[in-house]
Amino acid sequence: MNQFALSLQSVVKMFGGVRAVDGVSLQVAPGERRVVIGPNGAGKTSLFHCISGVIRPTSGVIQCFGEDITQLSEPQRTQKGVGRTFQISSVFAELTVLENVALAVLGIRQQKWGMWSAVNQLKGLREKAAEQLALVGLPGKEEVMVKSLSYGERRQLELVLALVNGPKLLLLDEPCAGLSPSERQRLFSIIKNLPRSITMLMIEHDMDIALALADRVTVLHRGEMILEGSAQEVRQNPQVREVYFGQV
Amino acid sequence: MNTTRLIATRLIAIVLLIIVVGLPMAAGTYWVGLVTQIFIFGLLALAVDLLLGHAGLFSLCHAAFFAVAAYTTSILQVRYGVSTQWAVPAGLLAGTSLGLLFGLSVRTRGVYFILVTMAMGYIIWGVGYRWSAFTGGDSGITNVPAPMVSGFQISTAEQFYYVVLAVLLVVLALYQKLVRSPFGLVLRGIKSGEPRMRSLGFNPARHLYVAFVISAFMASLAGVLYVYHNRFINPVAASLHVNMEAVLMAIVGGSGTLLGPFIGAALVLGLRNWVSSFFEFHLAVMGLVFIAVVIWAPGGVIGLLRRYSSGKEK
Amino acid sequence: MDSFILQTLNGISYAALLFLLASGFTLTFGLMRIVNMAHGAYYLIGGYVGLTVAKATGNFALALLAGGVTATLLGYLADKFLIKRAGENHLAQVLITVGLAYVVGDVALKIWGGDALKLPIPIVMRGVVELPGGIVYPVFRFFLMSVGVAVALLLWIMYRKTQIGAAIRAGVDDREMVGATGIHVDRLFLIVSGLASFLAGFSGVLGGAFLTVYPGAEWEILVFALVVVIIGGLGSLGGAMIGALIVGLLDAYGRWLLPEMSYFVLFGPMAILLLFRPRGLFGAENMT
Repeated sequence: MNQFALSLQSVVKMFGGVRAVDGVSLQVAPGERRVVIGPNGAGKTSLFHCISGVIRPTSGVIQCFGEDITQLSEPQRTQKGVGRTFQISSVFAELTVLENVALAVLGIRQQKWGMWSAVNQLKGLREKAAEQLALVGLPGKEEVMVKSLSYGERRQLELVLALVNGPKLLLLDEPCAGLSPSERQRLFSIIKNLPRSITMLMIEHDMDIALALADRVTVLHRGEMILEGSAQEVRQNPQVREVYFGQV
Repeated sequence: MNTTRLIATRLIAIVLLIIVVGLPMAAGTYWVGLVTQIFIFGLLALAVDLLLGHAGLFSLCHAAFFAVAAYTTSILQVRYGVSTQWAVPAGLLAGTSLGLLFGLSVRTRGVYFILVTMAMGYIIWGVGYRWSAFTGGDSGITNVPAPMVSGFQISTAEQFYYVVLAVLLVVLALYQKLVRSPFGLVLRGIKSGEPRMRSLGFNPARHLYVAFVISAFMASLAGVLYVYHNRFINPVAASLHVNMEAVLMAIVGGSGTLLGPFIGAALVLGLRNWVSSFFEFHLAVMGLVFIAVVIWAPGGVIGLLRRYSSGKEK
Repeated sequence: MDSFILQTLNGISYAALLFLLASGFTLTFGLMRIVNMAHGAYYLIGGYVGLTVAKATGNFALALLAGGVTATLLGYLADKFLIKRAGENHLAQVLITVGLAYVVGDVALKIWGGDALKLPIPIVMRGVVELPGGIVYPVFRFFLMSVGVAVALLLWIMYRKTQIGAAIRAGVDDREMVGATGIHVDRLFLIVSGLASFLAGFSGVLGGAFLTVYPGAEWEILVFALVVVIIGGLGSLGGAMIGALIVGLLDAYGRWLLPEMSYFVLFGPMAILLLFRPRGLFGAENMT
């Protein structure tokens, strides 16, 4: 029986009286590129928070490659292979680029408890970092303090942090938000070229990006899933148009 | 640019080493005693700074570990005739065990952490005063004998100075390794962005707890050295004042650096010694220094040096 | 049983004093995110100034006013020239306000000396009240309790029923929103800060009469007030009330039953509470 990379069953998240996520069920196949779209306040980020473990759902079940992760903490889910980027840049501004990558590498390894050898001497760290940084377009920036990086460069670093451990499931929360068109293009092509060993779930506002990348699209509105289908189907659906363009 | 600085730093370190090793031969007992005190309080400040400068946690209970270790060692030696070789480990164990308990405070953050540690520190101070049957109350424990190591009694200021210096050098070497290690980086990551650390797979509270216990051990070590230096301990050692002074030393010298706390200790103790010779209100002076540092030099002495040297590079 | 009632009354008296100090601290933090460790120093200076005024004029009410006003003045200057420089950085705030407290403490030491001084209370309050069961209790302490209750009531009404109170509650909840409600944010901060300082100085005069005023008093009472705030939750006025009662009573019972370990009796429950509920009883989740 084929396992889904990600399976949500009737996930609900309430904040006080508000149903931020209102009974969402979806299944993402391994290797799939699923884009989640919806107007502001539709519950996309809350949904991501539920999946990555920042918050626990009020009810419902979340499974990742057949394993129930609903009650696991955020660090535990990362250990299981869930990677994530955030809508608001959350890289470590006070550290260097290399230190940022090092932390991402250490996050799921026992070496994070090492108290003797220096970080600089971690086997393979420099090579891995150089490789990943080159991939996203930040070659040679290892010793730069992140606070000196431009916003676009920070977004690129953000992606490195999520990718460096080869996650099985990657959650991208508007990875291109706030970028100039050329930066957007570059980041997008990197994302598009990621291997299919990584299953991808992406929140995106930009319809064009969404449609260029997605195998399937899930549309959220007011916490509920109102439609799911191929990019073309979603684009042409009148309900979606109303939800997006009716809401001005 | 980097290489010049590296060489300069190494040179300065060597010069400093020569100075501290040669001091007792060149200066009198007063200076030897003062510098020993600087080492001891610098160590306490370093303990506080492990949490403050690296993990971003402002602890106000470290004087408690300092005092508990000092009291344990001295009470064992004075009242129960226990030898130094057992009293010292016992003191370290007592202080560190308290650290294991107080370390639970890492479940809180920010302001709450400050307030909780402040209150915890007060418990120990209060117990020191109130439980006078055990701790000697106000008068504390007096007549602590000189430490005896393998039949040899360390009775002169110069001998003790070298013992403290040796301990200090070992501690510094280990501390440097610790802050450069993955563990140290994790602490700095937590300080820089804790939520992100969780999403990277870390459980910050665990690292913070271990760091807390390590710093409690360091503070305990300072306490044990202190009680042999002073030959006396009273509840003031557990007071908020001592803790705040340790914080001040770390910040004045340069928080997050290896030698900053010691530079700070030298400045604060030096200032206090100098001021008290003509003016009794050293607390006010310390208060003014706090205010001045916060407003004009938050990076401390080392911060100023760095600013100056990077300014020169332009 | 008599002892129990006596200690309970002691606890409530102390709770009244603590509430006066803690309420200011918790609102200042809740609204402005400022940790002001100089609150104890405001208490101290209020007490000493009140003492001087009381001795000079024999007028207790005037002493109360003088103490409160002095603290308000000091608080205003501190806010404007010092605390502002620390910005949002809690560490800097703590350092700068502790520094201020040290300076104030030493200045007070120079002016009033090192002995514990008792504030003279009005003659009418110097007696005792006879309670059913034959217990006698000082009138002044009942006065203290009633002041505590009165202030708590006034603060509560202001907090819940007035526009300013609503603005404060909104601000505690979400600082950016306050500006949006059309209320002058700076003025609001000024009022709250001024009120907090006034209460601190005011409570210093009462404390001076209740407990005496002495060097170091500012730290002792600050720690207790902080425990009140920790237990009650930062930013919560109701929490400050309940926390004050808990702390006052635990302190009184602790001193009575386990004098050497009274600090444990107090801080133990606090620590346990924090293990399970780091933000205290009524603190909001976003407080740090």
